[in-house]
Amino acid sequence: MQTTRNFVRCRLAPRFLLAYLCLCTPVLAQQEQVALRGGKLLTVSHGTIDDGVVVMENGRITAVGSVNLVHVAKNARVIDVKGMTVYPGLIDSETALGLTEISAEPMTNDLIESSEEIMPHMHVYDAFHAESELIPVTRLNGITNAIVAPANRDTLPGQDSFVQLAGRSAEEMLLVRDVALPLNFSGEQRRDERGESRKFPSTRMGLAAQLRQTFLDAQDYAQRWTDYEKRKADYEKAKSEAPAKADDKNQGKDKKQPPSPPKHDLKLEALLPYLEGKKLVVLAAEEANDLETAVGLTREFNLKFVLNHISHAQSVLDYVASLKVPVIVGPIYEDPKPDERYDAVYSLPAQLNKRGVKIAFASYDAHNSRNLPYQAGFATAFGLPHEEALKAVTLNAAEIWGVADRLGSLDVGKTANIVVANGDPLDVKTDVKQVFIEGKEIPMTSRQTRLRDQYSEQ
Amino acid sequence: MFLRSLPCQSCARTMAGLLSMVLLAGSAPAQNPPGTPHNEVLIKNALVMTATHGNIPNANVYVKDGKIAAVGKDVSAPASATVVDAEGKYLTPGIIDSHSHIALDNDVNEATSPVTPHMMMIDAFDYQDKAIYHGLAGGVTTSLLLHGSANMIGGQAVVIKHKYGANRDAMLFPGAPRSIKFASGENPKRVYGGRDQLPSTRMGNFAVQREALVQAQDYMREWDAYEAKVKDGDKDATPPKRDLKLEALADVLRGKLLVQIHCYRADEMLTEIAMAKEFGYKLRAFHHALEAYKVADQLAAAGVGIATFSDWWGFKQEAWDAIPWNAVMAMRKGVRVAIKSDSEDFARRLNQEAGKTMRYGGATEEEALRMITLNAAWIIGVEDRVGSIDVGKDADLVIWDGYPLSSYGVPSKVFIDGDLYFDRSLPGFGMPHYKEGM
Repeated sequence: MQTTRNFVRCRLAPRFLLAYLCLCTPVLAQQEQVALRGGKLLTVSHGTIDDGVVVMENGRITAVGSVNLVHVAKNARVIDVKGMTVYPGLIDSETALGLTEISAEPMTNDLIESSEEIMPHMHVYDAFHAESELIPVTRLNGITNAIVAPANRDTLPGQDSFVQLAGRSAEEMLLVRDVALPLNFSGEQRRDERGESRKFPSTRMGLAAQLRQTFLDAQDYAQRWTDYEKRKADYEKAKSEAPAKADDKNQGKDKKQPPSPPKHDLKLEALLPYLEGKKLVVLAAEEANDLETAVGLTREFNLKFVLNHISHAQSVLDYVASLKVPVIVGPIYEDPKPDERYDAVYSLPAQLNKRGVKIAFASYDAHNSRNLPYQAGFATAFGLPHEEALKAVTLNAAEIWGVADRLGSLDVGKTANIVVANGDPLDVKTDVKQVFIEGKEIPMTSRQTRLRDQYSEQ
Repeated sequence: MFLRSLPCQSCARTMAGLLSMVLLAGSAPAQNPPGTPHNEVLIKNALVMTATHGNIPNANVYVKDGKIAAVGKDVSAPASATVVDAEGKYLTPGIIDSHSHIALDNDVNEATSPVTPHMMMIDAFDYQDKAIYHGLAGGVTTSLLLHGSANMIGGQAVVIKHKYGANRDAMLFPGAPRSIKFASGENPKRVYGGRDQLPSTRMGNFAVQREALVQAQDYMREWDAYEAKVKDGDKDATPPKRDLKLEALADVLRGKLLVQIHCYRADEMLTEIAMAKEFGYKLRAFHHALEAYKVADQLAAAGVGIATFSDWWGFKQEAWDAIPWNAVMAMRKGVRVAIKSDSEDFARRLNQEAGKTMRYGGATEEEALRMITLNAAWIIGVEDRVGSIDVGKDADLVIWDGYPLSSYGVPSKVFIDGDLYFDRSLPGFGMPHYKEGM
């Protein structure tokens, strides 16, 4: 708002243009400096600062510290946040945001391409709907970033994107396209449908064999391209040396055709960065047996992976810890199995944390992504330290998804995704008062607040 | 800890079983079997959240014969009472879930006809379903198990207490009023419309409902005429043929059943109110009622409550206008509001769902608590028996680790009718009366 106003003033007052330029230049060239002063800062990376100030400029955090120690520019816009808690924007490590609007209305859903089991060439970014009404609803609760993943009905359903929940277009919101490849092996991937139609695969053996064949095919595909590149290079080399032998008598006889490239295969091509260990596979399993089979598969092909769910793998948590990979845990609201104690799943985050496993929470939802922090809070009631719970929806997630240089904590240089709330970020009673995304004050409105206001009038 | 005397010889075997379990459990306290009369418990030093008359810090609650006998700071009990120290903990009434489909082994919908008022949910009640335990461990002590929403007029509910490990009949809420489930909107449309049957539209929905009610009026008239003849001494009077379906609906018209209507959209709530008025029956509550905030004045005027979600939305078209402020906006207009689960999952943490109403719309702590206790009890029609910590009410009580209306509230111990049914500190399932394979 400030920016617009100053800009208008400049244009309407040419007489004072020079004088105004002094004032306006910084505004025109960049965002004003904004300082949130007096709040309790949960930095996540370096503890709590009780009477703190965060300064933002040009969409970045430029200062964080105690009120006494941080210099705030004279012309900065200072927002008094006394009594408030200030923390980094929350990151939901798996959602369907932008892929669904009304769950029961098929035409508003782009969740999964279920015609085939192996669909790594599906890209979430091709469907991501930036104007979804769910996005403002979600960010109003302090969630500023999310993984968007296809639904889990295929073993390889497509590739995830890492998004920011504000922006003028999908282009702006998609921070990392194809950030990871989900590999679902929970034993439920379309087994029923396949079973009925007697189509392969209908068992875990089938799913595993199909995956193995797929990765072998992709390796083979990569080899064919490598061979081709080599042949092509040889050919180019031969050709470049050719003029020197232009008078060679045998030239015509030995003349080589340029090598023809292999046929493109989008499916196999999509798998290459994962086979090369350049990108992350998100390995989903629920129970111990599936987990071990799936880990075996990723080992066979040297895939770099994180684990997902493992909701009923309590018996092998030491094994999980020995893998030294992070776990996207939950949803902890998953019902326990009949032979499990009521809190078997609730206490999983604490159990993993105790074993030194890095965890992050996910809502695995779209409409209810806004409830992500409460899941982390609930896990603390079952032994997860509060500090770790907060990390699991901020910095841990940023680290897992490779964006910790930009997100996940209140640190100088990071993107100014900042939440101001009237209390503990993980408690259901807490009201989020203001969200900043890339330093911009997000309007605290959604379709839902508009309905509320409309029917509160009268 | 209730091991004062063996109540009777026949109980000895059970006691032996319990004792062996206790030994296995190490330091766990002994229990007397559930339902043993004269159980006396003194819960001490709790922050008592009464749901009717505020919070009492450092208070005691004395339980005798399964009822709350005294509440207050200076309350004491005879030496014979078991003492439970709840220092630093919270005590609330047992949570009441006014909309549940657990423990029915998927027999939720008799979706073969849109009018099935003679279905009795008790006939499907699976008292061994672990979901009862999961709810109990979340502090739920009473649930209304309803027919599903496939039919415009569904079946009759059963009210249970979550005494997991007890036998079937011990779990039934004694003397609870009968409730019947009605539905409207998308579900009946989808179920029958999908088969190219009536109803497939909202017009069809309400036509089916009206037709059934008209038939019930005729049926009731026949029976009234017959009973009048009998009363006049007419010995030749022959009774009309009994029809279970119409008999149940006649009971609706006679006001013998609490009518619980699955309804999302505001316009349909108004239509249901009008139809109830036309046929002369009363509505107890709209369930889901996600657009109650749009017609809260009319709901309040009609005296209809709502059993709603705290913040679920967008799962279908008729849930698209759901807003999390619904509960509090309706409450402020005078509607009696309950937060319910309609889900095995949510039943385990209704306390958090109620806590959200403090944030969305600013419900007070007691208002929020009532949405999962006293108001829910009213919807079921058992508000004189449960739903608050008041003398004379059933001793359905929850001791909480952590503030209950937050992300951090977790039941530590749950009592039903004064008996301890859940104790978080116990190993295994945490249920003193339950053994796997019982």
